[in-house]
Order: sequence, then structure tokens, then C-alpha cells
Amino acid sequence: MSSTLVLGMGNPILSDDGVGLLVADRLREGPLPDSVEVVQSEVGGLRLLELVRGFTRVIIIDALQSPAESGRHPGEVYRYEAKDFKGGHRYGSAHSIGLDTALEIGHRLGYDMPEEVTVFAIEAEDVETFGEELSPPVAAAAERVFALVREEVGAA
Amino acid sequence: MKKVTVDPITRLEGHGKIEIFVDDDNKVQNVYFQIPELRGFERFCVGRPVEELARITPRICGVCPEAHHMAATKAIDQVFGVEVAPAGRKLRELLYNTFYVTDHTTHFYILAGPDFIMGPESDPAARNILGVIGKVGMETAGAMIKLRAEAAEVISMIGGKQIHPVCGLPGGVSQAITAEQRDRIVEVTAAQIEFAKFTLKLFDDVVLGNSAYVDLIKSDMFTHETYYMGMVDENNKVNFYDGKIRVVGPDGVEHEKFEGKDYLAHLAEHVEPYSYLVYPYLKSVGWKGFVDGKDSGVYRASPLSRLNAADGMATPLAQAEYERFYSTLGGKPVHATLATHWARLVELLYAAERAHELATDPEIIDPNVRNIPTRIVGEGVGVVEAPRGTLYHHYKTDDKGIVTNVNLIVGTTNNNAAISMSLKKAAEGLLTGGKEISEGNLNMIEMAFRAYDPCFGCATHTLPGDMPLEVTVKREATRDVIASVKRNM
Repeated sequence: MSSTLVLGMGNPILSDDGVGLLVADRLREGPLPDSVEVVQSEVGGLRLLELVRGFTRVIIIDALQSPAESGRHPGEVYRYEAKDFKGGHRYGSAHSIGLDTALEIGHRLGYDMPEEVTVFAIEAEDVETFGEELSPPVAAAAERVFALVREEVGAA
Repeated sequence: MKKVTVDPITRLEGHGKIEIFVDDDNKVQNVYFQIPELRGFERFCVGRPVEELARITPRICGVCPEAHHMAATKAIDQVFGVEVAPAGRKLRELLYNTFYVTDHTTHFYILAGPDFIMGPESDPAARNILGVIGKVGMETAGAMIKLRAEAAEVISMIGGKQIHPVCGLPGGVSQAITAEQRDRIVEVTAAQIEFAKFTLKLFDDVVLGNSAYVDLIKSDMFTHETYYMGMVDENNKVNFYDGKIRVVGPDGVEHEKFEGKDYLAHLAEHVEPYSYLVYPYLKSVGWKGFVDGKDSGVYRASPLSRLNAADGMATPLAQAEYERFYSTLGGKPVHATLATHWARLVELLYAAERAHELATDPEIIDPNVRNIPTRIVGEGVGVVEAPRGTLYHHYKTDDKGIVTNVNLIVGTTNNNAAISMSLKKAAEGLLTGGKEISEGNLNMIEMAFRAYDPCFGCATHTLPGDMPLEVTVKREATRDVIASVKRNM
């Protein structure tokens, strides 16, 4: 059966890092097609692998912080596919298994892995201050991503 | 002089780095280890009902939320001056040991595995979990993933939620488990004991069976003679959930033993202008700089430290491994930082055995899992052994239980000074006199660092400790970068 997982990721108490969770919260209010499941996750790495198993398609919503020299601005929304994250499988600690590595492990183990992984990344202003509020540009972007994801899953 | 930078950068949260300055002969002059600061954690907590901290503090970090949940819950027990119901206490410890099983297993296969199973100087493209899977085989990899899934099942059964447990309440836990749930946990923990035994066998074959690795582990480059901290039960055996804090000296003799609530009388914090992260040290010995030995208050808190600080393990199979560990490595204490990987597996076996022991305890299904608090004392210190070191949560509240003050010492922070020292010594051993600085060299410097599995998520109160790493070598005189290696970037 074809099914879609919408995964809102982030940290709910680290300002803009909570944006993915907030968008997922709103999406959950629906209405959404029956084949769509919305999940919030505050973790990555191998735990991500366990979450996405069995879905045909996964849409991830998360905050992103690009280096200053990238010229990006808070509130900008970027759309990525899994292939955009292919950059080797190196990591510095047990908890930093990346999305690409997690997916690759799933494939090698022969799990039922999603055919399509899309990421909506929202450029954050502040992910270093404890707080539950979004900055204004990120709050505005949350509205746009909410609409984009609804369209993506055929709920618009 | 040249500079070597080991540059860890969290997924989203800014940027930390390790800079190693070398002179023209690649002789190491200085090592600086910096990480970013997150703002406002205490302010975020102050003014909230203290019970909420058991659900807020786990969100500091996506790696060991269970450790924060336990330390917070224990601190909150004290704030309310309530005894924990026996079954509630056992359920907490069962959850916590199950968490240890999954954390230590993951660490071994993902972090130690690439260095030891693939080799420290192997092709970096294969020196990762995927290389390890290729080498140990799909069956083992599948078993590891299955163990994680089953541990998560047990954690959510007791904890109420899979990732961030919510079960801990002052006086106990929120719900009892049924006999059927217990039967499932017995089955899962029995399988975990077998997997832990298998993993120790793998370590034997791959690491201990290779004299080059044993020499590397025992080499002076990866050795520091420090004090060691760990929690022990009434028989001085390792315990992760409760007990007294015991510190042994570099000679292995007990230096002090104290109740968690008295931590401020025993620990002090040194500050360096270049780092936001403090350097805790033993007050009774004093800060003498980044040096080891009996006169330096630097201590370590890690799996190796816990084994050194205790007289043994409280379960039979782990005790046998404990004895083999010390007989193989030349007696107590073991100062070899890389032996931490083996110590972690001894703890893995203990955690699985202890979880199984608790699951088969008839009292574990007792429905009386909580004592209801009737007063507010207003202060509490909750201490547990987190996988990466002793974790202290200290809360103060007003007479209504509203938070007025929060202080945390997290696992990695304990080891901050030792990590800096280990990096410096490894860099000295590997770079000095060498003409070329290879990727393999830089990886071996990182090995000194990875043995602690530092989690800057926790140390700086960030999430999720997801840490790309860059190692850069710089000439001190010119500040020119002469070598670098990156990961996760």
C-alpha cells in the first residue's frame, strides 16, 4: 500500500529549531488523505531509520542553519531530495549518523525503505536560545511550508 | 608554528573546534578545544513548576534523554521530600538499564567499530557504520537494529513514550506494567544478554586478537593517570541509577566517597577564557592545569572510570568480564583511554543482566508504583551515571515548587579537561617529528576524543549532539592551515 510519512523534526525548546514540530502539529489537525501519517521527531540518526521504515514516501520538515557566507536569509524555504544529502558517510560521534547514512543502512539491511524522501528546510534565525517562540521570518515561513506540504500530499 | 584544528560543528547549533598548534618540526605547542554556547537554559526553566523539568531537561539532547529524565526525576523526588515506591524505583532502573543497552551497543558498532573493525588508518570512505556492516555481516547488523527496536519497545512500555520518557513522577512512576508486558521484557532482556556476550566475543576476536590494537590501546600516547569518578552501590559495585559517588586516585585507592547532594563540596569548576564549557575538578586536590597525576584535580567520568572507581560488577557475567578486563590490561586501575571501548562492553553486559534481573523480580508488576508527595522541601540533587559520565541535576524551588535555580553538570563536562589533555597527548605522539600529517594521523587524534563519546549537545545544552567534525593543522607562526580533515560537513 502506498503511504506517506510527514516528519516534523526539531527541538521544541530551542526557538526556530521547533519550526518542523509546529508545522507537523498544524498538519495533524487535517483534514489529510488517509494514506498520510504525521509524526513529530526530536531525534535523528538511526532512530530516523526506524521511523521511516515501511513508508513509500517521506516528507521531512526541519530547520536549517546555513553558514553566514551562503548568503541565505532566515525564513527562506529550500526543498531537497535525499540525493542532495549524499556526501559520504563520515561522522564524529555516535549520534551524528546522517539522513543519507541512515537510509543507506536501511537499504543494505533489505528493509522496506521509502522510494522518495523530500525535505523542506527552513532557514532559521536563531537556534541557540532556549525558547518556544519562532522568529518572525521563520513563523511566516512555517505558514508557507504548511501550505506546500498540504499541496504535496494532495490535501490542498 | 602550525595549527591543527579539530572542528566539530553541530547540525544546526553553531560551531565548536579543536585547534592544535604545532611548530616547524610539527612539535605540538598548544591544544585548544572550544565549543559553542547556547543561551538562556536556566532562564527558560526558572518560574516553571519543578515537575516539568523531568520533561524539559530531556529535550536538551536527543541522545540520552533517558539520563536527563532519570536525574531530573530523582532531583524532583527530593524537592518534594518523598520516598520512591519500591516498584516505581525498580521500573525506573529497568528502563534506565535498557536505555544503556541500546546506547552502549550503538556506540560500539557505530563509533568504536569503524576504528577497530575497519582499522584506524583504513580508507576513510569505508571507515564508518556501512563499512562495519560490510565486515561483520548483515546478520549482526540486523541483530543490532533489532536490539535497538526492542529496547525502544521496552522503553516506551515503561516510559510512556518512545523517545522522551514521561513516566517519572515524584515518588515513583506514572503507571505499572502488566504481567504480559513483563513477560515480553523478560524475553527481550534475555536476548540482550546474548547479544552483549556476542559483542564481547567480537571485541575479543577483532581487537584483543590483534596485537597491534592491543599495543595501541596500551600505548603511552593514549594514557593518562587521572582520578576516576563513578557511582557505586553499597558493595562498591557499579550502579547506573543510584548510589554514592566514589572517586579513586591514579593509584586506584579510594580518595573520597560522597552523596550526590553534596557534590558542591567536592567539585569545583575551572574556567578558561577561550571556552564556554567549564572544567570541573576535585576540590580536595585543586586545579593544577591540564596535567595528570596525583596532584592534579582532573578526573574522568566514563565507562572506564566507573570500572576503575568500583570494586566490581553486581551481576555474574559482567563480573567475570570485569576480572578478565583487569587481568588482561595489567591490573587496576587501567589508565588507557582507548580501553574505554572495552569497559563500555562490560557495562553493556551488566546493563542487560541487570535489566533481566529486574524484569524477573516479582515486585516489578506490583501496581503500587508511586507514593504521593505531601510536602515541598524546595531543593534536590538528582544524580545518575549517564553513559558519558556522572550527571548531576540540582534544582531549587520556592515553597510552591516553582523553580528558582537550576544547575547541571553533564557527563561530557566532567571529562572536558581530560578530553583536552588526551587530544594534546595523542597529537604530540602522532605529529611530533613527523614530516607529513596524514588523514590516518588525524583520525587517530580523533580516536582519543571519540573514546569519551563527547556529547556537546548535552554539555552546551543543545540538541542533538549531531556533530560534524573538522580537523585542521595550523602552523603557529603564520596560522596557515597545513592539513585538515572533515566529516559531516
